Amino acid sequence: MSANEGEQSTRAEPDSYESAVERLEEIIDRLDSGQAGLRETLELCREGRELVNYCAAELDAVGEGLKELKLDELAAKLDSQAA
Amino acid sequence: MDLPGPFPVGRYARKLEEEMKKRARVQLMGEVTGVGRSKKQAFFELRDREGAVPCTMWLDDFERSKLPEGALRDGVELVVAGGPDYYRGGSQASPSFSFRATHMRLAGEGDLLAQLEALRKQLQREGLFELQKQLRRPRLPKTIGVVTAETGAARRDLLAGLARRGWAGTVVWGFAPVQDRRAAPAIAAAIQDLAARPEVEAIVVTRGGGSLADLWAFCDETLCRTVALLRVPVISAVGHERDSTLIDDVAAVACSTPTHAAEAAVPLDCLAARRDLQRAAAALRRSGEGAVEARARHLGALARGPARALQRQRSHLNQKIREIRAASERGLTERTGFQRRIATVVLGRARQRGVERAAAGRAEERRRVAAIERSAERNLQRRSQALERIALTLRAHDPERTLERGYALAESSAGEPVTTAEAARSLDEMRLRFADGQISVTPARGGRGSE
Repeated sequence: MSANEGEQSTRAEPDSYESAVERLEEIIDRLDSGQAGLRETLELCREGRELVNYCAAELDAVGEGLKELKLDELAAKLDSQAA
Repeated sequence: MDLPGPFPVGRYARKLEEEMKKRARVQLMGEVTGVGRSKKQAFFELRDREGAVPCTMWLDDFERSKLPEGALRDGVELVVAGGPDYYRGGSQASPSFSFRATHMRLAGEGDLLAQLEALRKQLQREGLFELQKQLRRPRLPKTIGVVTAETGAARRDLLAGLARRGWAGTVVWGFAPVQDRRAAPAIAAAIQDLAARPEVEAIVVTRGGGSLADLWAFCDETLCRTVALLRVPVISAVGHERDSTLIDDVAAVACSTPTHAAEAAVPLDCLAARRDLQRAAAALRRSGEGAVEARARHLGALARGPARALQRQRSHLNQKIREIRAASERGLTERTGFQRRIATVVLGRARQRGVERAAAGRAEERRRVAAIERSAERNLQRRSQALERIALTLRAHDPERTLERGYALAESSAGEPVTTAEAARSLDEMRLRFADGQISVTPARGGRGSE
C-alpha cells in the first residue's frame, strides 16, 4: 500500500459494485434521517464520495467500447504470451 | 472341443437368418447418421449416446413411409419399426447384420418429450437443477462469455441487448455448432473453456428458435451435467419462449430470448446506474455542505445570541413591568372603590352605631343626672338635717347662752379664759364678760375663798 492510499482511507475497497451500492444507499439513508452528527456526517460523506468514485470507475470500465474476443484467439494470445 | 458340429456354415447361416426373423418386431428411436442408398434399399445408422444399430430399408417400404423430401439425412431424429435381420450373403456377396426397418417416421415432439422428461426427472433427483441457481451473479460483470453459432440472429440480438443496457465490456465468444450431433459436445467444450478463464464472470448459451428436434443438442445429458457442475453462472436462452430444453433447467437463469439473456448477464442497467450515481453524489454533496452550513448558521446565531437574549429579556421585563403597572392601577382602582364601598358601609354602620350609642348615652346621662340630682337632693337634705341637729347641739353648748342664764366668763385682758382662782390672784386686772357686756375687775390678793 502506498502512503497516499493510507492517507485516503483506512477502509478496504468494496469487493463488488453491488456491495458498494448497498453501502452507499445505507449512507444516504443515514444522512437523510438527519440523525448523524457533524463528525459522522462528514465521515459518511467522505466514505460516500469514495464509493461513488469506485462505482464510477467500475461503470467506466464497461463503458469505453465493446471488446470482442474469440476463445481460440484468446488461447493463441495466451500461448504467445507464454512463449 | 466337446461341442455339437461341425456343421456346414451355409446351413448355419440360413438357420441364423431364420432365428433372427423370429425375433419380436419393435420400434427404435435415434439420430440418423451415415445415410446411403443402393438400387434397392436405403441404409443408415441409428444411434444415441449409448450405442448404434445399422439399419436397412427396402426402397419400396421407404416410399410407403412418405417422409418429406430430404427428411432422411444425418442428424435427424427418427423412429423406425422392424426387426433384426441377417443376410447370409452368397458366393460373391458378403454377409451382414442389420435392423430391417419396414416403417419409418420423423421423431415427434411426443417421443422426444417422453425421453426428455425421463432425463429431467433423473437430473432433478440428483439435485443438479439447484447448483447453478445458488451461484452469485455479479450485477456488473466486466467480461462475459457467450456460446452460440458464429452466424445467426442470436449473436446480433445479444449484442443489441447489451448495448441497450449501456454495457460495453468484454465479450469472449465461444462459437459452436448448435444443431446436430456434433453440437452438444462442442457446446460443452466451449462452456468449459470459457469457465476456465478467470476473467469470465458469466456465460451465456444461446441460439434461435426451432423444433424440439432442432434444439435437441441442448437436452444432451452430458452437456447438462457439465453446465450444472460449473462454478461460473450460465444463462441459457435457447429457442423461443415456448421451447423448454434441459439446459434451461440446470442453468442459473433461463431466458426466453437472447435480449433477455443480455439483461440477465448484466443485471445492472448501466445508463440508469450512472444517473443514480450522479444523484447519490449530489445527495452526498448536499448533505456534507448542508451539515456544515446549518451548523455555521447555528454557531452564528449562538454568537449573536447573548445580545439578542438580553434584548429579549429586556423586552420581556418591560412587558412585565407594563403589565404589573396596569395590573396595579387596575387593582388600586378596584381596591379604592372597594374600600370606598367598605368605608361607606362601615362608616354608615359606625355612624348608625354612634347615633345609637349617643342616644343611649344621653339617656344614660339623663338617668345619671337625675340620679345625681336625686342623690344630691337627698344628701343635701340629710346634711341640712344634720346641720340643724348640730346647730341645735351647738346652740345648746354656746357660752353665750350660758351667760344669758346668769353665768359670767372670766378672762384675762388678753382674752384668755381664767379658769382658776389661783390664776385670777396672779393677775393685776381681769375682765368679767356678761351676756350684755363686760367689766374690769381687780382681784384681791391674799384671801382665799370668797373675795
